Amino acid sequence: MADRLLFSKTGRARYISHLDLMRTFQRAFFRAGIQIKHTGGFNPHPFVSIALPLSVGYSSQCEILEFGLIGGAAAEEVPERLTAAMPEGITVHRCYAGGRPLKELAFVDYIVTMEYGEGRPPEAEAALRQLLSRDSLVVRKKSKKAKSGYTEVDLIPRIRSWSLECAGDAMTLDAVLSAQNPGLNPELIRAAFCEAFPQYAPDYVWFHRRGVLDGDGNPFE
Amino acid sequence: MNRTLERILPKVQKPARYTGGEYNAVVKDRDTVDLRYALCFPDTYEIGMSNLGCRILYGLMNEQDGVWCERCYAPWGDMEEEMRREGIPLYGLESGDPIAGFDIIGFSLGYEMAYTNVLNMLDLAGVPLRSEQRRGLAPLVVAGGTCAFNPEPLAPFVDFFVLGEGEDVTLEYIQLFRRAKKENWSKEELLRAAAQIPGIYVPSFYEPVYRPDGTLEAVEIKEGSGAPEGVEKRIVEDFDSSYFPVKTIVPSTEIVHDRVMLELFRGCIRGCRFCQAGYIYRPVRCRGAEKLAEYGKAACAGSGYQEMTLSSLSSTDYPQLVELCDELMDYCQPRDIGLSLPSLRADSFSMELVQRLQKLRKGGLTFAPEAGTQRLRDAINKNLREEDLMQSVRTAFTAGWSGVKLYFMLGLPTETDEDVLAIADLARKVYFAWRECTPNMARGVRITVSTSCFVPKPHTPFQWEAQVTMEEYQRRVGLLRDALKWDRSITYNWHDPQASYLEAVFSRGDRRLADVIEEAWRRGAKFDSWSEYFSFQRWMDAFAACGLDPAFYAHRERGRDEVFPWCRIDPPAHTGFLWREREKCYRAETTPDCRTHCSGCGANRYLTGGVCNG
Repeated sequence: MADRLLFSKTGRARYISHLDLMRTFQRAFFRAGIQIKHTGGFNPHPFVSIALPLSVGYSSQCEILEFGLIGGAAAEEVPERLTAAMPEGITVHRCYAGGRPLKELAFVDYIVTMEYGEGRPPEAEAALRQLLSRDSLVVRKKSKKAKSGYTEVDLIPRIRSWSLECAGDAMTLDAVLSAQNPGLNPELIRAAFCEAFPQYAPDYVWFHRRGVLDGDGNPFE
Repeated sequence: MNRTLERILPKVQKPARYTGGEYNAVVKDRDTVDLRYALCFPDTYEIGMSNLGCRILYGLMNEQDGVWCERCYAPWGDMEEEMRREGIPLYGLESGDPIAGFDIIGFSLGYEMAYTNVLNMLDLAGVPLRSEQRRGLAPLVVAGGTCAFNPEPLAPFVDFFVLGEGEDVTLEYIQLFRRAKKENWSKEELLRAAAQIPGIYVPSFYEPVYRPDGTLEAVEIKEGSGAPEGVEKRIVEDFDSSYFPVKTIVPSTEIVHDRVMLELFRGCIRGCRFCQAGYIYRPVRCRGAEKLAEYGKAACAGSGYQEMTLSSLSSTDYPQLVELCDELMDYCQPRDIGLSLPSLRADSFSMELVQRLQKLRKGGLTFAPEAGTQRLRDAINKNLREEDLMQSVRTAFTAGWSGVKLYFMLGLPTETDEDVLAIADLARKVYFAWRECTPNMARGVRITVSTSCFVPKPHTPFQWEAQVTMEEYQRRVGLLRDALKWDRSITYNWHDPQASYLEAVFSRGDRRLADVIEEAWRRGAKFDSWSEYFSFQRWMDAFAACGLDPAFYAHRERGRDEVFPWCRIDPPAHTGFLWREREKCYRAETTPDCRTHCSGCGANRYLTGGVCNG
């Protein structure tokens, strides 16, 4: 059974891409003197796998990485030793033996903060509520497989629950979205909102992953 | 991080190159430092971060109390556009602070085609381009690197140039600047004092005087400036104990040379007559194998890199190469760390080593015979015999390699059509060697021949030579292409001559070309070594607008007594020696390497006692 890490990715590290992040971990294990399993084959390299790739620019407090601990450190020491060997913005919180398979990770809780530089339009909140309360919200999405280069996706069935708060110049959407097969990137909600209500388009949107959940809505580890 | 910056980063490609915050990046407290240095590389992050020299200077400066050196690279077009729109000036990656507020802005100049990026970066920083427009002490704009050996085309933009290896002189001029700042010197006072430091060339203290035909009459020293007659480059005499960056930045995004680089030695014993590095980095100084092995292991452990490469101008010439490789392999193999050895000569000794290092993956092998006939290889002093090359490829093919790349130059001095066609013959011989030796005929073979257009460089025996015209280069390419037309296993690639032409212009150009660089930049030139941005026509328009003829610089053969624009930079190998080497080229005579026989180039003067130890 694989070992797992729970880590967060914030600040400057948000801009590290998925592939680069895997490389960063491979090197950080080595720097920290922690031996991990290597892949076989012609080009053996340290094995690491990150569940649910995070889009570049998003922050997260609940990333999961799978690897195989061989030695050099006890599991309890791993978070501190590894964090010290990490670039700014990546903090390892826990190291534990993986339990349930990753495919049981069903939902992701996202915090989407929409900011308005010159004051939040009062009508924006109602507009977003109305949009998310529809029975169906079909958007065009880029697709590598489809011939036209686009496919149509209904967002509503992939949104498990949501709540919206407004304060100051920002609207904050807390949305629990389908994680995989198929998952939903909250960017599509932003895009749908801006398309439906271009007059209320926010100047900047921050995406943050707050938690990962299983099919019953309980925290996934 | 700045909020505006955070807003634009999601919109640009590969934002990780603009954020800083990498492992081992040095962050200091602004209030505890009194000198801030922006170490700039006029190309992308991926290229600049691969430069070992910059890593050395970065580590060295940040070891000093009170000095904070930060990195700065040229933003790609999408990022530049966002920065200009949002009014974000060029900033240091570590602090995010605008570099216009720094004390010193230092550029590393590795190739001429990056000159427009220097201007663009100064402009993005909000710093006036020309030295004379910058009245205050700070920011002081300095530049070093290979191109500083002919600093003239950038002279009006740079306050002073640093010649040779930067380890010692950088700390010396930083000390000087700190004193100047404390004692409120004027910029003029600072430059006068800087000119007294060996290795520093202050261009504003030298005045070129032209003849009516456009050649130089003299480069005069400004009266009362106290600037030296000639500026001698700096070297690190004791390379063995010189600084090596064990604790180096590990980028969070992939760069070009994403591995530990171990520098075996500086200089080169070979003396290939076309090679500028081979002349300006003389004399040869080695680092001991024991020390290198220790550094290599520490650098791997400190960075987590799974790859190490030995770097030098000609690794085979490192005296303790076998011992070093054995020692490193003992460390690397159990840890799955790859060890690579570029810059090998095509001899049997090297092939044995390569076989030992690359037990698993057998990718391509690259050789650079440079010329097709033995006569021309002798003329350029590329001491590679055809037998050696053939022996090497036979060994490689027998061991299972199935790809060989062969690099050549067209337009070398004394080259004839016969020499050009001999390249095709040589490639065919390599192909037949494969047929003879391969254990697996069904796998096929890839033989790639690449040619580029020769660029004569300052401080080499070919500094007097004319470059062939672009039409002539294309004619020779056509000859070779026709000759290889029916060989389906041989691929022929040739580089465009346009960039080589401009390189030839700027590498031996004078101060008047500064206007052309600025004009081209104003017309949009930047990233000229990138095909995405390069426009030859734009450069031709800039020359026309400035009333200068590029052919004057590229295609004109210089006489024995020509006054060169770089005449105030003392040539590392004496001019008399260079001229003798040029005459030997015309007689197709070789010169032995420095270890076999000292040919008296004069570079021994940099060493205490005056003896090169090779």
